Amino acid sequence: MRLLLSSLFLKSPFEGLQRHADKAKECAQLFKEAAVCHVEGRCKDFDALTDQVARMESEADSIKRNIRNHLPRGILMPVDKFQFLQYLGEQDKVIDEVEAALYWLSFRPRGLPKEVAPDFLHLVDSVIPSIETLAELVRMAMDFFRSKSEDQRKKMKRLIQDIRQHEKEADLLEQELKGMVFRNIQDALVVFHTVRLVEIVGDIADHAQNASDRMRAMIAK
Amino acid sequence: MDVVILSIATLIGLYMAANIGANDLANAMGTSVGSGAITLKQAVLISIIANTLGAVLAGGYVTNTISKGLINPTLLAADPNKLMIGMLVALLSAGICVHLATLFGLPVSTTHAIVGAVVGFGIVSVGPGAVTWSKVLSIAASWVISPVAGAGIAGGMYFFAERRILSADDPERQSGRYAPFLIFIVFLVLILSLIFQGLKNLHLEIGFFWTILLTIPCAAAAGGFGRFWMRRQMHTGTHVRAEQAGYSSVDRIFAQLQVLTACYIAFAHGANDVANAIGPLAAIFAVVKSKSVALSVEVPFWMLFIGGIAVGGGLLAFGTRVMDTIGKNITEMTPIRGFCAQFGAATTILVCSRLGFPVSTTHVLVGSVVGVGIMRGMGTLDLRVLKNIGLSWIVTLPVTILLAMFLYKMLAIFLL
Repeated sequence: MRLLLSSLFLKSPFEGLQRHADKAKECAQLFKEAAVCHVEGRCKDFDALTDQVARMESEADSIKRNIRNHLPRGILMPVDKFQFLQYLGEQDKVIDEVEAALYWLSFRPRGLPKEVAPDFLHLVDSVIPSIETLAELVRMAMDFFRSKSEDQRKKMKRLIQDIRQHEKEADLLEQELKGMVFRNIQDALVVFHTVRLVEIVGDIADHAQNASDRMRAMIAK
Repeated sequence: MDVVILSIATLIGLYMAANIGANDLANAMGTSVGSGAITLKQAVLISIIANTLGAVLAGGYVTNTISKGLINPTLLAADPNKLMIGMLVALLSAGICVHLATLFGLPVSTTHAIVGAVVGFGIVSVGPGAVTWSKVLSIAASWVISPVAGAGIAGGMYFFAERRILSADDPERQSGRYAPFLIFIVFLVLILSLIFQGLKNLHLEIGFFWTILLTIPCAAAAGGFGRFWMRRQMHTGTHVRAEQAGYSSVDRIFAQLQVLTACYIAFAHGANDVANAIGPLAAIFAVVKSKSVALSVEVPFWMLFIGGIAVGGGLLAFGTRVMDTIGKNITEMTPIRGFCAQFGAATTILVCSRLGFPVSTTHVLVGSVVGVGIMRGMGTLDLRVLKNIGLSWIVTLPVTILLAMFLYKMLAIFLL
C-alpha cells in the first residue's frame, strides 16, 4: 500500500497538552486540599497529598517531554511551534510551583501563623480557578483550531480575561499578605518562610497568566 | 507476434490501471472518507463513475503525451516493431517499479515511472536524440509546479473560507451564502474542462464565444441549484450521518460540498492518471492496427473507457483497504479542509491534463493539503514527507530509465 497522504498527518500535540492541563487541574485540587489540611493542623494526609502531587508533577513532566520530543523540525502546525512550546513551558511551571508550594509548606510542619492563615487560604483559593481555567482553555483551543470559529475565539478571549483578573486578585492578596506578615510577625524565620510561601503561590497565578497570554497570541488573527 | 505483444501489454496495462486505482485514486478519495463527507461505499461508487468519465472525456491529451509526445515517433517509422516492443518495455518497467513501490510503501508516482520508462526505451532504441527533451523537461517542471500550484489554490481557497465563513459572526449563514459561489467555481472549471477536452474527443469543437455562452450559465445554474439545495437543507435540518455527528453546522454544509469535490477529483484523476496505463497501450494498438508508426491516430474512445473501468476495478478490489486506512488516519481532515484541498488538487490536475502534462495526483493532493496547512488550516503535518517525495522524484526517473533500457536490450535480442 502506498499511503502517502496519511503519512503526512501527525498526531496532534494538543492532545498531549490537554492531558498536561488536566494534570495541572488535578494538582490544583489536591493543592487546595493539602493547603487546608496543613493550615488546620489536624490533618494527617498532608504528606500523602504532597506525594500525590509530586507523582503527578512527574507524570506531567513526562507528558511535556513526550510532546517536545514529537515536535521535530519539519512539522507544520496550526499555531507557531515556538509559541506552543512556550505555552507548554508556562503550564508546566504552574505544576512545578504547586509542587514547590507544598514542599515549602511541609518545611514547617507546625502550620502557618494564625494571623495569616485565613488570608493564605484565600490566596490559595484565588489561584485555583486560573489553573482550572487553563484546562478549559486548552479544550477550547483544540476545538478552535479545528473550527476556526469566531464565536469560540471570543469565548477563549473571555476565559483569558478571567485568568488575568484572577492573577490581579492574587497579586493584591499576595501584597496584602506580605504586609500583614511584616506587621504582625516578629520571628525572622517565620517571616522568611511565610513570605517565600506567599510568593510561590503568587507565582502560580503569574505562570497561569503567562500561559494564557501565550494562548492569546496563538489565537490572534 | 503483434497480437502476443498486444495481449501482454494489455495485461500489464490493466495491472497498472488496477494499481493506480488501488493506490492513487484511493489516496485521492481517502480525503473525503477521512472527513466523513462520504462513506466508503459512496467513495467507491463515485470513483468508478467519475474516474471513468474523466478518462473518457478528458483523458486524451495526457494519453497522447505518453503515447507519442515523449519520443519522436518518426525516428521509429522505419521499424514499427521497435515502438511496439519499446512501449511494452515501458509498461513492464513502470509496472515493476510501481509494484515494488506498493510492496514497500514507497511514495513513488506511477506518472513518473511511466515517463521515465518511455524516455529509457527512447534512448536505448534510437538514441538520446529520439527523446523530445523539451517536452520531458516541461513535464519534469510540471511535477514541481503542480504541487505548488495545488498548494496555492487550496491555500487561497482556505484563506477565503476562513476569512469569509469560519471567522464570521454567523458562519452557518455565511456558508449558505458562499456555497453557491463555490459550486459555481467547481462547475465552471469542470465544464470548461469538458468543453476543452471532452468535446475534442467527441470531435465537437466550439469557439471561444460559445464556450463562454455555454459555461457561465450552466455553472450559474449549478450554483443556483446549490443555493436552493442548501436552503432546503438548512430549513429542513441538515441530514446528519453518524460520522458527521461531532461536526459544526459549517462542516455539515461543507460535507455536502465535499461530495462534489470528491466527484471532481475522481474526474480529474481519470483525466490524468488513466493515461499512465493506457498511453503505451494506445501506441502499441496503433502500430498493430496500422502496421506503421501513425502520428495522427487518436486514442480510441473505448480504450480510455476500459482504462477508466480498470482503475475503478482496482479501487474496488484493493483500494477500499487503502481508503479505509487513510480515512482512519486523517481525522484532522474536516470537510472544509478536505473541500479546499480537493478543490486545489483537482483544479490543478485538470489544468495540467488540458496542457497534456502527466502529473502525480497524489503529489498534487499532498501539495494542496500542505497549502491549507500553511494557512494554519490543517492539524499537525509532517513536512518530512515532502523530502521523501523529492527523493522519489530523483530516484524514480533514473531507475525506470535504466530498467527500461535493460529490458529493451534483453527483449530486442529475442524479438528484433
